[in-house]
Amino acid sequence: METIFIKITSIFLISVLLFSCTDDNEVSPVDPLDGFSKLTEGYALGASAKVEIWGQKNFFMGYNKLIVVLYDSLNQKVKLTDAHIHFLPLMTMNMNGMIMKHSAPVENPEETAINEVFPGAVAFQMPTAMDGTWKLGVSVHNHKIDKEGEAEFDITVDNPTPSVMTVFSALAPDNNKLVLSILEPSKPKVGMNDIEFTIHRKASMMDWPADDSYTIEITPEMPSMGHGSPNNVNPVSSGNGHYKGKVNFTMTGEWRVNVVVKKAGQAVSQNLYFNITF
Amino acid sequence: MNMYKLINLLWLVLLPLLSGAQIDLLPDTIKLNEVTVSANLPLQNKDVIDYYRTNHFATFDNINVRMEGMSLIKRGAYAMEPQLHGFSGGQLNVTIDGMKMFGACTDKMDPVTSYIEPTNLKNIRISQGTNGSLTGSNIGGSVDMTLQEPDLDASQYYSSSLGFGYESVSQGRNVLFSSGFGKKKWAWGIDGVYRKNENYRDGQNKIIPFTQFEKTNLHSVLKYELDKVNSFKADVLYDIARNVGYPALPMDVSKAQAILAAIEYRRNGKAQLKAKMYFNTVLHIMDDSKRDSTFLLENKHTGRTDTVYMHMDMPGRSTTFGTYLQAERFWNLKNKILLKFDNYINHSIAEMTMHMNRPETGPELPMYMQTWPEMLRNVSGLFIQNTTFFSPEFQIAVNGRMDYDLDILQSEYGQQQFSIFGYTLEKKHEMLVKSLNLSADYTLTHHIQFGATVGYAERLPTITERLGFYLYNAYDGYDYIGNPTINPEKSDFARIDLQLSRPKIKVNLSQTFSYIQDYIMGITDPEIPPMNFYTNGTRVYSNIPSARIFGTDLQLLYQPTKSISLFMLSKFTLGELSSGDPIPLIPPFKNIVSIKYQHEKFSVQFENETSLAQNRINKSHGEYQTPAYSLFNLKGNYTFSFPKTALDIGCGITNLFNRTYYDHLDWGRINRPGRNMDLFLKYSF
Repeated sequence: METIFIKITSIFLISVLLFSCTDDNEVSPVDPLDGFSKLTEGYALGASAKVEIWGQKNFFMGYNKLIVVLYDSLNQKVKLTDAHIHFLPLMTMNMNGMIMKHSAPVENPEETAINEVFPGAVAFQMPTAMDGTWKLGVSVHNHKIDKEGEAEFDITVDNPTPSVMTVFSALAPDNNKLVLSILEPSKPKVGMNDIEFTIHRKASMMDWPADDSYTIEITPEMPSMGHGSPNNVNPVSSGNGHYKGKVNFTMTGEWRVNVVVKKAGQAVSQNLYFNITF
Repeated sequence: MNMYKLINLLWLVLLPLLSGAQIDLLPDTIKLNEVTVSANLPLQNKDVIDYYRTNHFATFDNINVRMEGMSLIKRGAYAMEPQLHGFSGGQLNVTIDGMKMFGACTDKMDPVTSYIEPTNLKNIRISQGTNGSLTGSNIGGSVDMTLQEPDLDASQYYSSSLGFGYESVSQGRNVLFSSGFGKKKWAWGIDGVYRKNENYRDGQNKIIPFTQFEKTNLHSVLKYELDKVNSFKADVLYDIARNVGYPALPMDVSKAQAILAAIEYRRNGKAQLKAKMYFNTVLHIMDDSKRDSTFLLENKHTGRTDTVYMHMDMPGRSTTFGTYLQAERFWNLKNKILLKFDNYINHSIAEMTMHMNRPETGPELPMYMQTWPEMLRNVSGLFIQNTTFFSPEFQIAVNGRMDYDLDILQSEYGQQQFSIFGYTLEKKHEMLVKSLNLSADYTLTHHIQFGATVGYAERLPTITERLGFYLYNAYDGYDYIGNPTINPEKSDFARIDLQLSRPKIKVNLSQTFSYIQDYIMGITDPEIPPMNFYTNGTRVYSNIPSARIFGTDLQLLYQPTKSISLFMLSKFTLGELSSGDPIPLIPPFKNIVSIKYQHEKFSVQFENETSLAQNRINKSHGEYQTPAYSLFNLKGNYTFSFPKTALDIGCGITNLFNRTYYDHLDWGRINRPGRNMDLFLKYSF
C-alpha cells in the first residue's frame, strides 16, 4: 500500500516539476542567501563593484559566516561571479591614549562564485566596545575588468550570550594565542548533533592563520543534573582550521560542552566550555 | 434464582465453600464438555476467591496473593504488580475478559489489576506457563479477569447492597455498593467502590509515610438476550485513583485514571461464538511535589556542595482499541476446535519534564524527554486449539498461536533520542511471535487425575524494553534504556499436575519448569553515564542467553466435618540465570493455612501466612536478603436475616501479633502494616 502510494505521488510530483521546468528553466533551485540577511553594502571604488555583505545575524564575537554579493556598479542588475575577494577586518583600540590595531581570523571566498555569491567567514575575536571599534574592509579584484578596489564598512560587533568563542593563551610549551570558535550545533536538538570548531593562531597582530595541528576533546554535561551523555565523537581536523565531531544531548535544557585543546597529546587549555541551551 | 447470584451469595453469608453440593459437583470436572485443558483443577481459583472475598473489602491484591503461583511486587500500599512464579510485566498476559489493557506508567506503578476491583469481577483465571496463549502471546502465563455480570431471569427483580468498612491501621474507609435490575430479556447491573486510606503504621507503631491513597471505581453492565441463542452485553468501567503514595519510589501519583468500554455478542448454538470490541484509555500522572526534592550536588568546578531544587512532571498515556472473535465447536464426536482471531492497537506515550530551580540562580529552562516515545503497536493474532477426547479418561489438546506485530514509532523525537546510542531507528518495526503447546489429561482412577503439558512460546518485548529512555528503577538504582532491536523472549515449558479428589479432601500438586532463551534483563553499560544524581549507572535491556525457572504449588482443601474446613496453599519458585546467579525478585517459599469454622449464620476463620527467608539473591540487581516471617489473622462474621433483607457484620484482625516485617518482593524493604482491626457492615435489600 505504502509503496504504491509513494510511487504514485512521486510520479505526480516529478511530472509537476517537469512542467515547471519547461516554463522557466533558468531558476536555480537553491537560494544561497536563504537564512541570511543583508548587513551592509557599499562600493569598492576602482573595481567598479557594488559590495553587499550578508550574514545570518548582525556581526558578533565569534565565527561569522558571511556572504559577499558583487554587482557591476554600472549595471547593478549584473552580478559579478569572477572576483578575488579579501576580508580585511580591523580593530582599532584606544588604550589610555595608546592606539593599537589588530586584524581577525578570516576565510576568504573562492575566486569563482558559488551560486553567484561568495561565501566566506570572519571570526571577530572581540565585540565593539567603548575603547574599540571595528572596520571591515573588503578588497575586490574584479577579474572581468581586471581592476582592484576596496570597500570599507564601519560595523558593530555584538557580544552574544551564550558566548560562542574564546580567546586564550595556550599553556606552555605551546604558548600561542589561540582563537577557538564553536560553529555547530547552530540548531541544537535532542539526539545526535554535529559539533564543529575552528582554531586560529595569532601569528602577528595582522595575521591570524587557521591551525590544524591541535586536537580537541569534548565532554558534554548538564551541570544542574550532574550528568553527561554517551557516544560523543571528539572533533577531528577537517582542514583549514576546522574540527568536526558529534555531540549528543539526551534531553532539552541547559547543556555545557567542556572542551580540552591539546597539542601533541598535551592539554594546552584550562576550564574551557561553551553553554548550549535549547 | 436471584440476580447477581454470586454477589448475593457472597454478600449474604459466608460461602459454604465445601458444602455437599459442591462436592457432588466434583465429577463435573472430568466430564467431557466441562473440561478446560489449561485449568483442570478440582480447586478452581473461584473457590479461592470466594474463600477470601468474605471480607468484602479485600482488595484485588489481598486475593491475588492467595492464588496458586501468584506473588505481588510491592512499591506502595496500592497497585501491586502480579508475578506468576517469577514471571511479571511483559512476560505475563493480563487481560480483562480477554481484553488487552496496558498501564500508562513507565515505572510499572499501575499494573492493569490496579484499575479493577474485586467487586467488578466474577472470576479470575490463571494459567501458568506457555499454555495460556488464548488471550495473547506470553511465556509466563496468563491472568484473565472476568467482569461481573447480572443473570437474566424470566421474572422481574431488583436487588441491591450497600457496605461500609473501616481499617484501623490506615484509618481506611471503604464504601461499596452494588445494584441489579432484571426484566425479561434485559438485565442491568452497577457496582462501585470508594476507598480512602491514610498512611499506615508498621509493627513498631511507626507511621510509614507515602502509603496513602484514595480511589473510586464504578462498573456498569447491560445485558440483552435476543433469544435463547443470541445475547449482547455492554460494559463500562471507570476507575480513578488520586493522591497515591509510593514509599519505595522517589515519586507519587496524583492521578491514575482508566476508562474501559466494551460490547460483546455471544451465540450459544451448536457452535459457541463470542465477538467483542473494546476500547480503553489509561492516564497516569506522577507527582513529586510532596517529596523533598533537594538533592545535594557537588559542583565539579568549585568543589562546593550546592543545593538544587528539582521537580519532575511525568505523565503517561496508553490507549488500546481491540476486537476479537472466538468460535468453538465439536466437529465430530471426539474433537472440539477453538478458533480465535484478535487484534489490538495500542498507542502509548510517556514524557518527563524536569524543572530545576536553584535558589541562587532561579529557574532553568525545562528539561524534556520522551521516556516512552510516542508509539503505535498493532498486534494481530490467531489462536487454534483442537481437543481430542479419546475416552472419558483421556484427552489431548494441541494449540498454537501466532502474533504479528507492527510497531510504528510516531515520534521523531524518539528517533533523535536513540540516535545518541548509534541507532538509526526505522519508523516501522515488525515482529512475529509463535507458540505451540501439547497437553494431555488422564484420569487414573476415579479419584486421581494426571495432567501434563509441554510447550514453546515467544513473547513480544514491551515498549519499555524496546524504546524506554532513561527509566529510573528504584529497586536496583539504575537508569534503564530500551533496546530497539531486542529479540522476543522464548520459552520451553513443561508442567505436570497431579490431583486427588475424595469427598472430604482435594489435593492438587503442580510443577512447572521453564527454560527461557533470550531472557530480557538490564545489563550495565558503563559507557552510558547515568542521568540522575542518585543513580548507580545505566542499564540497557538485553537478551541474555538463558534462564531457568522452576515453580511448584500444592493446594489442599480438607473438610473433616460439615462445619470445619481447612485450606492450605504452598508455593515455591526457583530461578536461575545462565550465569548461575539467581534471577532477581524471586519469592521465597510461602505457605498459607486457613481453618474455618462455620455454623449456620456464624463463621470464624483463622489464618497463618508464613514466608521463609530469601537468601538466594542477586546483589547486582539491588537485592538484599529477606528474613522469614509468620503472620496470624483472625476474622469472624455474622449475618442477621430479615424477610427480603440481610445485615452482614464482620470484624477481623490481621497481623494479630503485630509483627514488623516486609516481604522479599517489597521494593525498598519498607515495613508492611502492623496489627490491623477491620470492621465491616453490609446491608442487602
